[in-house]
Amino acid sequence: MNLKLVLLGIVAIAGIMSFLVTSPDDAKSESDVQITSATSDIMITDGKKHIIPLDKIRGGGPPKDGIPSIDDPKFATINDSQFVSDEDIVIGLSINGESKAYPLFILVWHEIVNDVVGGTPVAVTYCPLCYTNQVFDRTLDGTTVEFGTSGKLYNSNLVMYDRLTDSYWSQGLGIAITGELSGDTLDTIPFDVITWDNWKELHQDTLVLTTDTGHIRSYSTDPYGSYYTNPQILFPVDNQDDRIPLKEVIVGFHQDDIFKAYKQSDVESNGIINDVVGDSSILVVSMFAGNSRVFDRMVNDDVLDFTFEDEVILDTNTKSVWNYDGKSISGTLKGEQLSRLSINPGFWFSWISFHPDTLVYGVTP
Amino acid sequence: MRPIQKAILVGSITIVIYLSVVVFTTPALLPLDAINAALQLNSIVIFGMGIGIGLQVFISEKSKKLGCSLKKKSFGGNAGSTATTSFFSFFSLVPLGCCGWWLYALSLLPGIVGTGVSSILIEYSQPLAYGGLFIIFGFAGISALKLRKVIKKQNLKIGSKNYSSQIE
Repeated sequence: MNLKLVLLGIVAIAGIMSFLVTSPDDAKSESDVQITSATSDIMITDGKKHIIPLDKIRGGGPPKDGIPSIDDPKFATINDSQFVSDEDIVIGLSINGESKAYPLFILVWHEIVNDVVGGTPVAVTYCPLCYTNQVFDRTLDGTTVEFGTSGKLYNSNLVMYDRLTDSYWSQGLGIAITGELSGDTLDTIPFDVITWDNWKELHQDTLVLTTDTGHIRSYSTDPYGSYYTNPQILFPVDNQDDRIPLKEVIVGFHQDDIFKAYKQSDVESNGIINDVVGDSSILVVSMFAGNSRVFDRMVNDDVLDFTFEDEVILDTNTKSVWNYDGKSISGTLKGEQLSRLSINPGFWFSWISFHPDTLVYGVTP
Repeated sequence: MRPIQKAILVGSITIVIYLSVVVFTTPALLPLDAINAALQLNSIVIFGMGIGIGLQVFISEKSKKLGCSLKKKSFGGNAGSTATTSFFSFFSLVPLGCCGWWLYALSLLPGIVGTGVSSILIEYSQPLAYGGLFIIFGFAGISALKLRKVIKKQNLKIGSKNYSSQIE
């Protein structure tokens, strides 16, 4: 046998392997006939509803529920929270006077926690690849549902499924992308991405999710290692945009069809940003590293402008003082409450992949 | 087949199998993108394994040709090292963010080997893969030394035979 035959053999093996590894999902989507509804963006393929091309939904590796959601979360008080370091980042949630923290070092292994906070059924979600955090009200048409991980990715972002109809939901969009509920939207609930130390400072009665999850995982280590700081992404996303580095953390906000991104670093350096997005006058504020909140600046039909002076938040209209929860604590507006709005914190590449027409604070279009 | 040809074939097959596993276990990427990702991170390990295993095959075949076949033990050890090296290096692909199957494997490991060993695998997969590579070349080096010794002995025997025949 000569060298040519050897090389031919190698090429043949490689060819066979590449044929074998062609994703069956990809092959299927190509052969399907897609029928676009005349009245909406809902498409139907083989009797299955969907709002995005099916070949955009790719297998992430793990099977359905391979990354197990936490469905019976156990909590500890601050006194019993030695397993959490002060600098650990948590998703903080406070509803109807009940406060809970969900450490990201636990969520990285589970991605979804089905819980009830302040009487509200919630799904606390985290996609490590996109660093996108979101809290959803998991009530669908009056029925409480659980969410699990589908093992699929859309724009490299977590695709959840509901255990009621098995519809797939994009975490980044908060919309059902395939299945019976295609096109339906989940309600989001304002939350904080914040260090445990700072969350404890804000909510001294908080509970914190424990590692008693019912699953054995290496909670002391993050499997993604240097992924968060490595500037590259290797997986496909629909849109890319170099206005901001791919993995810079942004705070995404949208009002109707207007999308706007704020660099977390800009919000922190400004402390307060008075802005207008669409018809909404909003206040973007950060008093803690890595954390941002957004409020509606409208109070009693007046739009307030805010400033940060001598470590307090003041409105320049009445000089009333406001706390970080958006409540006026002194001045003529004492007792008034700003309406807190939902945000989408995460890596820039994820936001822009879903919202290519987004505006960026501080960048002229 | 000449030893060099067999060495190239086996070394190349090793690389092809490695990359096929990467493609299989990286459904989030197209095959070429998955291979590109693996090469970006682990090219030294991938080609090192191919060269190491090829070298071992070359030495083994050469020894057979010389009529002094080496024990299969070292070849088996090298194949084991290659498999272990691959195993470790696959885990190092997880931080690329696209090799979800290995993330899944990592998530299951604590239930099998305990959280301590899993933590080590997660934190040190890359150094462990380089360690495996070192062992592969170690086995190849040992085989080469053994072959050299055998060749020396054979030369000595031939030499002494010639010497005694000259005396006679």
